[in-house]
Amino acid sequence: MDKTLQGRTIIHGGVMIEEKKYTQKEEDFIRDMMQTAKTKAPENLKYRIMQQIETEKTLIPIKVNSRKESGNILKEFGSIFGTMYAVLAVMIAATYFLFGQAYLLSPQFLGTALLVASVFSLLWLISRLDPHLRKKKEAQKG
Amino acid sequence: MNENQRVQQVLSGNTSAFAYFVETYQDMAITIAHRICGNMQDAEDVVQESYVKAYRNLHSFRSESKFSTWLYRIVYNTAVTQTKTQMWGDSREAQMDGALLPVENSLQIGMEETERREMVTDIIQRMPKGDALLLTLYYMEENPVKEIAKITGLNDSNVKVKLFRARKIFKELWIKHYREELLFMEES
Repeated sequence: MDKTLQGRTIIHGGVMIEEKKYTQKEEDFIRDMMQTAKTKAPENLKYRIMQQIETEKTLIPIKVNSRKESGNILKEFGSIFGTMYAVLAVMIAATYFLFGQAYLLSPQFLGTALLVASVFSLLWLISRLDPHLRKKKEAQKG
Repeated sequence: MNENQRVQQVLSGNTSAFAYFVETYQDMAITIAHRICGNMQDAEDVVQESYVKAYRNLHSFRSESKFSTWLYRIVYNTAVTQTKTQMWGDSREAQMDGALLPVENSLQIGMEETERREMVTDIIQRMPKGDALLLTLYYMEENPVKEIAKITGLNDSNVKVKLFRARKIFKELWIKHYREELLFMEES
């Protein structure tokens, strides 16, 4: 409690207020009176609040999942295409050292590289299509 | 376990730990809301909404301040927004200013507990909402001026001045009420 109010003059907006008029006795009296007038919360209020919060909680994991999912997409994308570029890099290096630069530009090699890229792209497409179809199925069930 | 640890518990997913905050502060929260709304039904709705807001925004609670102050600020804002109440600048304040009485011994009154409660409740209802709220926060919860300033959004000196006037209004209404009671008793 702010006891510094006792015996002080406050100047506010041109109004001077003599605080010292208020004795400790009066302070105690008003405090006693105010303490009696506390409103009691009804019995069911706590239950109502907790019920609503529990409902809120059930909604939160959905948000977390969707955030997780968007993180997974990037991870999958990175890992599949990362591997693809790694495989292509190894292929290019091996071809260069084994068959020379001319073979790298031949249609056979370009065809093989295209095939590898297609396989990885298909793999990524399947990895995206699978959860999408599963989600759709769950939504139909729900 | 202190309140910050409980907050951490709630944030880590233990929703039931939030019940502690509901249990501990619901009475004061409803008292504040009741002072602003003026009726229990609205006050209950305000308190419920405030607790849900507090739960949703618990991550933004800074442990430097008291949880009660943070919660009461939410209750105050929710109640004021919902009721569209003008909390400060009531014309009644100015009217009462010139009509203050010197009351030294007139407060020494022996009275039954229930009678006192009814009288105080009646006086609080007759007071301007902002003044009633300040007295509630200052005397009921023993909040220091700084905490009241945080809850209401007023500055410290404003709180002190308004609190001073609120005390005067309370005293005057108390004496008026008491005299009316005496007159009524004498007549009957």
